[in-house]
Amino acid sequence: MARNLLLAAVVAVAAVVIVGAYAATVLMREDNGGSVNYLRMPPATMAASLSGGGIDGYIAWEPFVSEAIVGHTGEVLFWSEDIMPEHPCCVVAVSQDFLDQPNGPEVTKRFLKAHLEATQWMVDAMADTTSDEYALLKTLAMEFTTRNESVVEEALKHLEFRYAVDAAMLSGLETFVDMYIETNQTTLAAVQGRGYGSVEDLVVTYVNETYLEGAVSVAPASSPLTPVVRAGYLLGDLHQLAYYVAWNGRVLGGEQSLFQKYGVVVENASGAPYANGGVVMDNFAGGNVDIGYLGAPPALIKHITIGTKIVIVAQVNIEGSGLVVRSGSGIQDIEDLVNRTIATPGETSIQHLLLKIALDREGLDLVLKT
Amino acid sequence: MIISVKDLRKVFTKERREVVALDGFDLEVLESEFVCLLGPSGCGKTTVLRIIAGLESKTSGQVLVHGKEVASSRPRVGMVFQEFALFPWRSSKKNVEFGLEVRHVPRDGRSKVADKYLDLVGLSGFAEAHPHELSGGMKQRVAIARALANEPEVLLMDEPFGSLDAQTRNLMQRELLRIWAATRKTVLFVTHSVDEAVFLADRIVVMTARPGKERESIEVLLPRPRDRTSPEFIAVRSRVLSELDEEFEKARARELSHSPEVKNNA
Amino acid sequence: MNAILKWFKKMPRSQWKLILLVASILLFIGVWYAVSWWTELRDPVQGSLVPPPDEVASSFYWLLSNKDRATGIYLFQHMFTSLERVFLGFALAFALALPSGLLMGRSWVAEGLARPIVEIFRPIPPLAWAPAFLIIFKIFWGPVAVVFLGVFFPILFNVMLGARSVDRTLIDAARTLGARRSDVFTKVVLPYTVPYLMTGVTVGLGIGWMCIVAAEFVSAEGGGLGYFILANSDFGYYPEMYAGMVLIGILSVLTTGLAGLFEREVYKRMGMD
Ligand SMILES: Nc1ncnc2c1ncn2[C@@H]1O[C@H](COP(=O)(O)OP(=O)(O)OP(=O)(O)O)[C@@H](O)[C@H]1O
Ligand SMILES: [Mg+2]
Repeated sequence: MARNLLLAAVVAVAAVVIVGAYAATVLMREDNGGSVNYLRMPPATMAASLSGGGIDGYIAWEPFVSEAIVGHTGEVLFWSEDIMPEHPCCVVAVSQDFLDQPNGPEVTKRFLKAHLEATQWMVDAMADTTSDEYALLKTLAMEFTTRNESVVEEALKHLEFRYAVDAAMLSGLETFVDMYIETNQTTLAAVQGRGYGSVEDLVVTYVNETYLEGAVSVAPASSPLTPVVRAGYLLGDLHQLAYYVAWNGRVLGGEQSLFQKYGVVVENASGAPYANGGVVMDNFAGGNVDIGYLGAPPALIKHITIGTKIVIVAQVNIEGSGLVVRSGSGIQDIEDLVNRTIATPGETSIQHLLLKIALDREGLDLVLKT
Repeated sequence: MIISVKDLRKVFTKERREVVALDGFDLEVLESEFVCLLGPSGCGKTTVLRIIAGLESKTSGQVLVHGKEVASSRPRVGMVFQEFALFPWRSSKKNVEFGLEVRHVPRDGRSKVADKYLDLVGLSGFAEAHPHELSGGMKQRVAIARALANEPEVLLMDEPFGSLDAQTRNLMQRELLRIWAATRKTVLFVTHSVDEAVFLADRIVVMTARPGKERESIEVLLPRPRDRTSPEFIAVRSRVLSELDEEFEKARARELSHSPEVKNNA
Repeated sequence: MNAILKWFKKMPRSQWKLILLVASILLFIGVWYAVSWWTELRDPVQGSLVPPPDEVASSFYWLLSNKDRATGIYLFQHMFTSLERVFLGFALAFALALPSGLLMGRSWVAEGLARPIVEIFRPIPPLAWAPAFLIIFKIFWGPVAVVFLGVFFPILFNVMLGARSVDRTLIDAARTLGARRSDVFTKVVLPYTVPYLMTGVTVGLGIGWMCIVAAEFVSAEGGGLGYFILANSDFGYYPEMYAGMVLIGILSVLTTGLAGLFEREVYKRMGMD
């Protein structure tokens, strides 16, 4: 008898909770007036989802934008530079633990020297699309992203690789943090809690140019210097091609890679390449990654929220993301995105942030698709 | 004549080997007669019952129940198994109602019939009990009630009391005779116990070792209730026993001649 | 002293069980605190990566009436989304696995036909399908399909096992009582299979929860608890993340507990206590 009552009570409570939650959820579903729906999705599945009709558009890094253009499944509504010219994108970060090791700063400089030269080589190669270097660049890009030649060729048109730390980068990072504070995703108090007087202070301290400056004078080394660098980077992110270029022997026309040339031993961190920048930050925190390539916003937000001790030492690229909408979807400007579903690589990704900024200017909200 | 079996043959194919279970088996059972089937293990007693019940096909021969060929129409027979075969998820009453349910008898009718037969087997107080709450003897009573509730022409019983203890077994034998007297059903009863056969039967059919056929049909003319200690009872018992012993010997001899195979199986 | 000892000895098993349950929960919370303090000690500047239970509890409380910072909707919306998908995936799997299992258990033709296909799909972890299903079945039904797969096989195989092991004499008894093939199926094979079915259901529900969370890690309309956890992890909102994990634990205990109660009730109704 008692057991029956208990059963009845449990079922009743469960029923009330479920029905109540359902009612509330359904009510909230209607409350989507002037907003655009978003959904986190791995960029690698975005183009397929777009053509399958699961989503109306997506914002992602290259080559996933060009993949849709070349495949004629989508059209670019806007490029990220249309929203924020010269916005920073991917950065190189080093863990403080690594810098605290005896040879840590020296190895970091050597690593950056290779990164710098790789970036310069790419910039030069892209200046002349008839050169042998450009052909090799395309081959490397195809290997790195596992995408075909036409996709890679299209994508390279929209990329600008830049290692230097400049004013545009610093102001971009400031904008990102301001945005996080504005949307209550973090607070100025949290920033100050990490020992920074202001957002500006955070950015200028967090970005440390000294290693990049020191890298300029690094000379080719006859023997490698330890510790070994465990490097983290993102899966199929063409922005981070510099890593693959520095790592690859073919660039110098022989067996030796740029990393080897400057006497630094680099290996992929366990689990790398990673799905997104948040995961790179987790692996920094877990001590699995010494130097990592990742988007600037995840590097910023987790440094604030959980205090992951890293410093940003160089840029990787600027711009180079795009919002793709399905061909024939009738979406011609930002207002047409209302009530459509746009996939982003995740709430902390730079693409998500840029989309939010773009919608904000039109007075539109970005809300999770429910 | 309610059951008429003529020249029945049954061959089982087991792993490409043929086993002749029955060959030239004849049997005739009269209306309301209580016949016991005795024979060495493996001589085909169960097979005979299953063929009469329509659960197994025959290889050749003729099997008539109430003058109708079994192969073409499933006869209305009740069967009681040694393992009780009650549906554990149904109460006693629901078990008894099963046959009526599948014949689409309306709920009221089912209930009435079930009550009647539960009462007949002395279990009216256990209508709502489930099999796991009943003793072995009670379970077999439910099974008998279930078979009778279907109003069968014949009741086939395959060692129904084989798994009961001696006391319960004796009680159940008396109960069965009471029920039989009340319903006047024809009963074909398989047993390994000569004592049981002599106590129950109007007629005992002793089968030969495999392939089984009728060896001897012995009328038991003792009045009921029978006294197991009476000289007449013991005389009939001895007679049946000696018939059986010979068949046991034959079966054993054949088994020994197949001994390599037996060893292989062991 | 002696009196206390005696009192302890006299305590019935049920009370002991209650004490052990409380002790086990306390032990768990204690270990949690210890881990949290230890990670804090190890790195005081960065702070603990494992928030202590009270911090998780208060963030859970906060989430009850506030929109989650990472995804901008309420935790209970995520919860409902997950529940809805687990329920749908489960219901579909149940509806398909039960008849297929019965058929495969009772008919060698059906088994011969279906078994090879089933055996090809079975060893593939349902989670491996998540990205593919996202594309094929889109953002709502994709995760549901992952749950479906996770629940389908445990039910199918348990039902098949049950249907195959039906006591022969029960079927014979039914047939002598005049049951046709369809009666045997619905009145003997089906009820006989119920306990096996319930085992499959309990196992399937557990797997269903694992599947939904992992599928939502990939992507899912309306978020869901897996989505909630991943998004909060990306932002480094660890108390929220752990609150989501605890909620999944609670929900899965509740659903399997409900299945257990239901199972006991069914057994009682069927008289198979
Ligand atoms: N389904 C079957 N397949 C193959 N052989 C069978 C089958 N059923 C029975 N047999 C064989 O047929 C013979 C007769 O079997 P049956 O069960 O009728 O004997 P029985 O007289 O009832 O034996 P017992 O006294 O041990 O119950 C045996 O040799 C048995 O092995
Ligand atoms: Mg037998």
